[in-house]
Amino acid sequence: MNRVLRLFRQRTYAFALLLVVVLLVLNVIVSPSLFGLERLPATLATIAPFVLVAFASTPSMLGGGIDISVGPLMVLVNCILVAVLIPAGLGSVGIALPILLAISAGIGALNGVLTTIVKINPVITTTGMLFVLIGVSLTIAKTPVSAPDNWTEPLADTVWLVPGAVITIGAVALAWFLLNRTAYVRNLLATGESDTSAYGSGVNVTAVKILSYTLGGLFAGVGGIALTAFLQVSIANLGTTYALLGVAGAVLGGVSLLGGRGSMFGALLGGLAIYLIQQLLTAAGVAPTLIVLSYGLVLVLAVILGATLLNPRKR
Amino acid sequence: MSDHASITTSLTTPQPPDRWTRVRSAALQRPILQLVVLVAIAVWLVVLVPSLPTNPRAITSLLVVAALLAFAAMGQTLVVILGGLDLTLPGYIMIGALLAVDGTAKLGLPLPIAALITVVGCGAVGAFLGFACHRWAISPLVITLGAGSVLSGLAFFLSGGDYGKPAPDPLRALASAGSTTFGLPVPPVIFIVLGCAVVIWIVLTRTSAGRRFYATGVNPRAAGLARINTSATWTTVFALSGALGGLAGMFIAGFGAGWSQGMGDPYLFTGLAAVLVGGTTFASQRGSFTRTLIGALILTLLSTLVLAYRLKEEQGLILYGAIIIAMVAIYGRERHVRDRF
Repeated sequence: MNRVLRLFRQRTYAFALLLVVVLLVLNVIVSPSLFGLERLPATLATIAPFVLVAFASTPSMLGGGIDISVGPLMVLVNCILVAVLIPAGLGSVGIALPILLAISAGIGALNGVLTTIVKINPVITTTGMLFVLIGVSLTIAKTPVSAPDNWTEPLADTVWLVPGAVITIGAVALAWFLLNRTAYVRNLLATGESDTSAYGSGVNVTAVKILSYTLGGLFAGVGGIALTAFLQVSIANLGTTYALLGVAGAVLGGVSLLGGRGSMFGALLGGLAIYLIQQLLTAAGVAPTLIVLSYGLVLVLAVILGATLLNPRKR
Repeated sequence: MSDHASITTSLTTPQPPDRWTRVRSAALQRPILQLVVLVAIAVWLVVLVPSLPTNPRAITSLLVVAALLAFAAMGQTLVVILGGLDLTLPGYIMIGALLAVDGTAKLGLPLPIAALITVVGCGAVGAFLGFACHRWAISPLVITLGAGSVLSGLAFFLSGGDYGKPAPDPLRALASAGSTTFGLPVPPVIFIVLGCAVVIWIVLTRTSAGRRFYATGVNPRAAGLARINTSATWTTVFALSGALGGLAGMFIAGFGAGWSQGMGDPYLFTGLAAVLVGGTTFASQRGSFTRTLIGALILTLLSTLVLAYRLKEEQGLILYGAIIIAMVAIYGRERHVRDRF
């Protein structure tokens, strides 16, 4: 028993992994067709926004900050692509993709500058940014605009036999894997654990933090593209819904809100778990009202469990 | 020898701060900036809409909207001073509205009993959250988010999707814009919020409980070593946040035609905006409910101004966000790592 507990304490993602395995088994029992080979690309495309919003929340949280504006940023990217770029004739991959990624990384970087150089509390900065982003999204496309045929459609299906969602999630995962080869991720974790200690050890805390918010924004940009691929309409009114989904997914995946602990793999599992909970309850015919309730219960229980039984730190 | 003495004096006695530093810290101690912004927006609004000051009905409805926003943000103010964040608010509001409307209409509960159930129920949930956050050092963000989903889901489920009923008449008499207080053409909810503001001001600044509360917010460890029961402080404050959130839900149901799914969501972020614009920042000794009151007035006048310019609601949101960041950049900046090292 103690060895099992120790394993869970050392591997922050272990709890989320267990949750995902249990939920997968239950899902397959309730609706066996969901993970059938022909439906797999469509299922993965539904999962991608959940996972990517958790990914986007993770870098800033690892650095001891928080960014609750990544969800609205995803929605903004979706609105810009569907309601601005495509109608203006700038909808091709070569033009739209760099524009969208530059905008999202720029907004992330602005969050980073405001929290580190202007030194505003990250919750306040990103709450302010949340208002701005939701306002801009609603200004661009108050009512849903549906997208004509465009390059994002294959991302919800398959691209050369590879499911499109594997490409969007894989792009972010690959970027993080490469960053893991550099000193950056270790510096980020050190900053999140204790920024004063990291500063004293010669880490450029300001640059590390700004880059973490920029990466969050960039990942949210990819998430916005995955969202567009799956929906093919603009959904400006979903901004607040997505705002806290990412933080919830990351925390469920073992990323600590206090900074310094957690992994991208955990965030992947956390986002997946949130999708699987909702999918399981929907497939089991539970009323939508009870889905909200049980999703909340899982969050509360997971957070308390993570802070008590599975907490590696002696207080 | 006298040289040594003067050097020692200059090293040990603190230099009196220069005039600018004194003016600046005095201005930051009080919500002066907020008052200036409030007056500026009010003047701007009157210049733009000259008929406004002569229309008492318009003024009371503005004040009721501001009062409801301030009421919803009351618990959040206390939680933010303590250094936390309570995202359960939409859930509390939904439960309060459910009991105010369905509780009285379907179950036949008298209004005071419905209010009592709201206060006890939401207070108990809040107490649990506050205790859990303190006991296991949990960041309140995700656990309160989860609890908010549980309460909203519970309210939807219990209502069975039927939101048609209006709020009972006594409640509407308290909160709707056309009602009167003892013959005065001002709705009672405004006096209730002002009364709460006075009580909170007295408790926070004139009692030892208030001192303990600020001490816990600024430095929980130091407060604990000074034998303050920080666990009790967290539990009480979150319980208060729950009870006040539930009551706010009852008033909001009384103000509008009824209640609906998702009616609490706007109050969460706008309420937080009122707290922040008022100048209460996380774990600060400068936070107070008076500031939130001013913040709620600023935001309400600002949204009226946005409407007066024929801008849309969503462009108002952009302005809200910019104002939060600008205000906090002026008065609420944190210290650089270098200075904490």
